[in-house]
Amino acid sequence: MSLLDYDFMQRALLAALLTGLAAPAVGTYLVQRRLALMGDGIGHVALTGVAVGLLTGWAPVWTAIVVATAGAITIEVVRARGKASADVALAMLFYGGIAGGVLLTGLAGDTAANLYAYLFGSITTVSNGDLLVIGALAIAVLGLGIGLQPQLFAVCQDEEYARASGVPVRLYTILIAIMAAVTVTVAMRTVGLLLVSALMVVPVATADQLTRGFKATFLLALGLGVVPSVSGVVFAYYVDVAPGASIVVIALLGFALAWPLGAMLTRRRRRRADGEDPRLAGRHVTAEEHPHQHSEKCGHPAVEHDDHTDYLHDGHLHAAHGRHYDEH
Amino acid sequence: MQQSMTGSDCVVTVRGAVAVLGERAVLHGVDLAVPAGQVVALLGPNGSGKSTLVRAAIGLIPLAAGEVRLFGTPLARFRDWERVGYVPQRTTAASGVPATVREVVASGRLARRRPFWPATARDRAAVDEAVELVGLGDRADESVANLSGGQQQRVLIARAAATEPDLLVLDEPNAGVDLPSQEAFARALRTFVASGRSVLVVLHEMGPLEQLIDRAVVLSGGQVVHDGPLPVPAGVAGEWQHHHADSPRAAQKGLFG
Repeated sequence: MSLLDYDFMQRALLAALLTGLAAPAVGTYLVQRRLALMGDGIGHVALTGVAVGLLTGWAPVWTAIVVATAGAITIEVVRARGKASADVALAMLFYGGIAGGVLLTGLAGDTAANLYAYLFGSITTVSNGDLLVIGALAIAVLGLGIGLQPQLFAVCQDEEYARASGVPVRLYTILIAIMAAVTVTVAMRTVGLLLVSALMVVPVATADQLTRGFKATFLLALGLGVVPSVSGVVFAYYVDVAPGASIVVIALLGFALAWPLGAMLTRRRRRRADGEDPRLAGRHVTAEEHPHQHSEKCGHPAVEHDDHTDYLHDGHLHAAHGRHYDEH
Repeated sequence: MQQSMTGSDCVVTVRGAVAVLGERAVLHGVDLAVPAGQVVALLGPNGSGKSTLVRAAIGLIPLAAGEVRLFGTPLARFRDWERVGYVPQRTTAASGVPATVREVVASGRLARRRPFWPATARDRAAVDEAVELVGLGDRADESVANLSGGQQQRVLIARAAATEPDLLVLDEPNAGVDLPSQEAFARALRTFVASGRSVLVVLHEMGPLEQLIDRAVVLSGGQVVHDGPLPVPAGVAGEWQHHHADSPRAAQKGLFG
C-alpha cells in the first residue's frame, strides 16, 4: 500500500507543501531585515496560543494565530518605538511564550507531553478542517509576499528610503510581522513551533549562496523550502520520527551542499573583468550618430560648462567638438 | 533672494526649525529655502546639523518647532513623493539578502507605483536610464554587495534618479567615494540641473560638484552662519575651513580663503 493511499498522509503532504512555500516567502523578508530570529520568537509565543486552545477547548489553530499575531505586533512596535532593542524584545517573547505555554497546559490538566505534537510537528494530526485553514492562510501569505514584493523589498532593504518615498513603512512592517505569525501557525502541524523558523531561514540562506538578486533568491528559496518539507514528511512516515526534525535536517543538508557550490560561483564571478564606463574615466566619448546641429535656437536647453556650451539632448549633455558631439 | 525665500516658487522652505535628538538640541531655529531650479549646498563641520536638517526637510525626523513646506505644501499634507528623490548617507547599499543593482534602483519607482500592480514599461525604462546615468549599465544584474563603496553610492544615486524627481536631496553623496565616481556623479547632476530641476545637497568637501552650486548655506552649531553665493566669506567659513585645513584639495583651490 502506497503512502498516498492514506488520507492522513495526503493531508500531511499537502500541509507540508503549503508550509514549504509560505515559510521561505516570509523568511526572505525577515532575513533581509536581519530579523532571522523573529520566527523563533513568534513560534514560542504561538505555544502559549496552543495552550490557550487546550485550556478553553477552542481550536488550537485559531488561538495560536491570535496570540502569535499579538506577539508579532508587540515585537514590531517595541522595535519601532526603540523602547528596547529588537533582540531583547525577542528574548522576552521566547521566555514568556514557553513559560506561558507550559503553565496553561498544566492548568488545563494536560501534561506537557501533549504539546510535543505542536512543538515538532506530527503527520497524523492534520484534520480536514486544519487543512482548509492552513491552505487559505498559506495562499494569503504567498499572495501578499509576491504581490507586494516591490513594497516589502524596499521596506526591508532601506526603511528610511522607503519612508522618503511615501511608503507607509509602519503598515508594511506590521504586515510582515502578521504574515510571519500566520506562517508559524500554518507550519505548526508539520515542522512544529520550535523548528518553524528553520524553514523560514535555512532555504533563504541556501539560496543566498547561489544567487545574485532578490527575486532569484526568493523563488529559489520557495523551491528549497518545498523539497525538505515534503521529503521530511515522507521520511517521518517510514521512520517514526517527528517530521520537524527530519525536515530541518534535510534543509540543513541542502545548505551544506550549496556552500562549496556558492563559493565556486563567487570565485568565477570575481574573475570577470572590472569594466567601467569610459565616460566616467574622463575619456573622449563621441555621441552616437548626430545629424542634428545644436544651436541657441534648437530648443535643447543650453548649459554653460567651463569654457563651452553643452546642450541637453534626451538626457545626455552634448558638446560640439570639431564636426561631432561629445558626451559630457 | 529675500523675496524668493518666502515665495511659493520654493521647492523646499524650512522656517524656524528646532530639532532635538535624544536629549540634545541639534537645530536652533534654522531657516532654509531652495528656490526652484537652484542647487543649494549645505555646508558645515561635523555635528553642525546638516544631515538632521535635510532629514527633517523630507519628514524623516520630526521637528520640535518650526515648519517645513515641500513644493508649497506643508509636510504633513505632502503626498507627491514622486517629486522628491532622496540619496541617504550610506556606506553600503547591501542588506541581508542579495539584490541586484537593477532591483535596488527599481525601488526608486515606488512613489509612482500602486501596490499589486506590475511595473509598467515606463518604470522599467526609467530604471534602465538611471542605471546608465551613473555608468553602471554593464553591471546592472550584479549583486550590489560585490560593488565598490563608490559604485554602491552610485546605485543609491541611480535609485533617486529613477524616481524622475523635481527635487534631489543628497546627504554627502561623495563621502568615501572614489574620484571617478564623484566625477560620474557631477556629470549626472549637471544633466539633472540642466532641465531646470532643484538640488539640496549636504557636502563635506566640494570636489567636482563645486561649479554646479548656486548657493551655499553654512551651518555651525545648529545655526545658519552664512547663506549666499560661493565662495563662502572667510569669516563665517572659518570653522569649516579650519576643519578642512588638512584637506589638500580644499586648500589648493583657495575656495574659502
